[in-house]
Amino acid sequence: MAYDSASLDKPLETLKAFDWGGDVAAFEPIDAAVIAVHADPAARADLEKRLSALLTAGTSRAAKEYVCRKLSVIGTAASVPTLAALLPDTENSHMARFALERINAAEAGAALRQALGTVQGDLKIGMISSLAGRGDTACIPMLAALLAGDSRTAVAAADALGRIHTPEAVQALTAAGGTSDQAVAAAIVDARLACAESLLKQGKRSEATAIYKSLADAAAAGTTPAAKSTRLAAARGILACLDTTSPS
Amino acid sequence: MGHHTPARPASAPEGQTTGTRRGFLKGIGAAAAGAVAAPYVITSTALGNASTPPASDRIVMGGIGIGNMGSGDQNAFLGRSDVQYVAVCDVRKKWRDDGKGRVDGKYGNGDCAAYVDFRELLARDDLDAVHIATPDHWHAIMTIAACRSGKDVYLQKPETLTLREGPLMIAAARRYGRVVSGGSQRVLEDYRDIVHPCWAGEIGAIKSVDISVGGPSQPCYLPAQDTPPDIDWDLWLGPAPWEPYNSGRCDGNFGTGGNSWRSYIDYSGGSLTDWGAHHFGGTIFATDLRELQPVKATYHPASADGKQAAYASVSYPNGVDIYHNRPNELRPATPSVAHGGSIQITGDGRAREAKPVPVYKGTGGIYGDFIECVKTRERPFRDIELAVNTMTGPHMIGIAYRLQRSLNWDVAAQQFTGDAEANRLLDRARREPWIL
Repeated sequence: MAYDSASLDKPLETLKAFDWGGDVAAFEPIDAAVIAVHADPAARADLEKRLSALLTAGTSRAAKEYVCRKLSVIGTAASVPTLAALLPDTENSHMARFALERINAAEAGAALRQALGTVQGDLKIGMISSLAGRGDTACIPMLAALLAGDSRTAVAAADALGRIHTPEAVQALTAAGGTSDQAVAAAIVDARLACAESLLKQGKRSEATAIYKSLADAAAAGTTPAAKSTRLAAARGILACLDTTSPS
Repeated sequence: MGHHTPARPASAPEGQTTGTRRGFLKGIGAAAAGAVAAPYVITSTALGNASTPPASDRIVMGGIGIGNMGSGDQNAFLGRSDVQYVAVCDVRKKWRDDGKGRVDGKYGNGDCAAYVDFRELLARDDLDAVHIATPDHWHAIMTIAACRSGKDVYLQKPETLTLREGPLMIAAARRYGRVVSGGSQRVLEDYRDIVHPCWAGEIGAIKSVDISVGGPSQPCYLPAQDTPPDIDWDLWLGPAPWEPYNSGRCDGNFGTGGNSWRSYIDYSGGSLTDWGAHHFGGTIFATDLRELQPVKATYHPASADGKQAAYASVSYPNGVDIYHNRPNELRPATPSVAHGGSIQITGDGRAREAKPVPVYKGTGGIYGDFIECVKTRERPFRDIELAVNTMTGPHMIGIAYRLQRSLNWDVAAQQFTGDAEANRLLDRARREPWIL
């Protein structure tokens, strides 16, 4: 089906005041347009611009959610400013991330990092979650700093570093040192194990072994939480590193 | 992943359990050894008998998501003499109370602890294993958290909601050496009519399979209702987008045509992955594809005159094609074997050497298989890796339907090739504070 921008005038106007329970059949032309613009950059840009323009104060929460779902499929750097403006907004932050996390543009990552530096509490954890989902390496220094922050944020930061698992992430986790917070310490152990697994998959056996041995030593010294499971996980890892027939 | 200290003050368990069972038993043992004067009574239940292992040898279990299918899973484990069931968790008070009631009724006491927040259940150090039967949007987070806390997991199907979750769940299971079994009790038991001819080599090399089952899930825009006091709505939603409460949004009935969480995209893959987990699971087991993932999903558009609906298929690297809802007139006229009207398998007809059909370990179906593996540390019949492989096909089909185009899948990279939009649908942002 060819894209027809004019045919969206009424559905988009109706969408502004949409609330849950409303007639979603009215939006079927928008749904179809999201599919239709796949191979038509000009049409896609037009649709994106029109959807993005709805992310304003005069649009209902349900409508913003609908728009963010669509932008999660067709959004580009062009939508980032309007989506980023929603990141500090408790009601809409998640749906803004729903789109931004999927937009493969440097601007989307930059917006999430910008928000990571300003929002607090659960919203900050949300930014960490999306940056981890994107495998964003530029946020590693920020995550490293958060390892020393409040417990819930530090746990999320450690989880994210484990997901990103680049050499810089390994370094940040190693440099974090000890902590008396058991939840944070456990998350750091898990993240380091994830990093070691990634290194092993890349064939970097010596680097992986170093992490496993470090964790095994810490577990033996009783300086990690859940020492038994850490010791076993590290032992399994060391054996895998020794097994030259294992996938690498 | 989301393994944080609970955001809210930890709620006290509603049961009366305060210490750990093992700690309690250890205390009894120490007292007996010391021949103290106090009259400790060790019951025959604790010591075991010819048919019941002593308490110290039983697998200590709890359940998360204890309504509908969760209650069925609970009853299966609760009925086993080698399981000691000690805790339930559900965000709904009714399910929680009912679940606790079943346990307490079984044991004739009031000891079963009941939790609203799964993190509190997983924080117990006396649990060996948990079963999880929440809506699908919780599966990955809870399974990974359970592995990290040292628990084995029996996880209801469909094990994954997104393609990206699977490798992370497998990694967590392997990292901590946990037994993680998928939960499709039908795969081996309901599909014998197709499994045995295939494994016996009677129909030759498998060429194609036709599966008839419902389609993918849809967005949910049900109207807001007052949130009843007996559900923790924020925790029910968890990592899913915030939406207003509606009983139809969260109903656990097995329908997928609306007014059930299985119908909606934030919580489920729809019938395609719900009942599809059984039909695809049975098919993939019968055709011995469990170790493989498809390399392509093909979208077959509806006919121009609208008489023929769109359908889709996935292709495996060994040449097997599995079709979803292919019109009857396009199917092989005489399939080699069939499971009613839902699965039709066509082979090349050249008989092959028979292979022994894998079976459950232990006794008691897939539940017994899981418990046996908890004891022996073997991999279960529906090991999480096999379950993830199984669900990859339905997820790929769902994305192909959504984008209305064909997709190529790079198994090693776990990405679609040459389709950035499709790769956007590998996963979704989770609502704060949840992280995978």
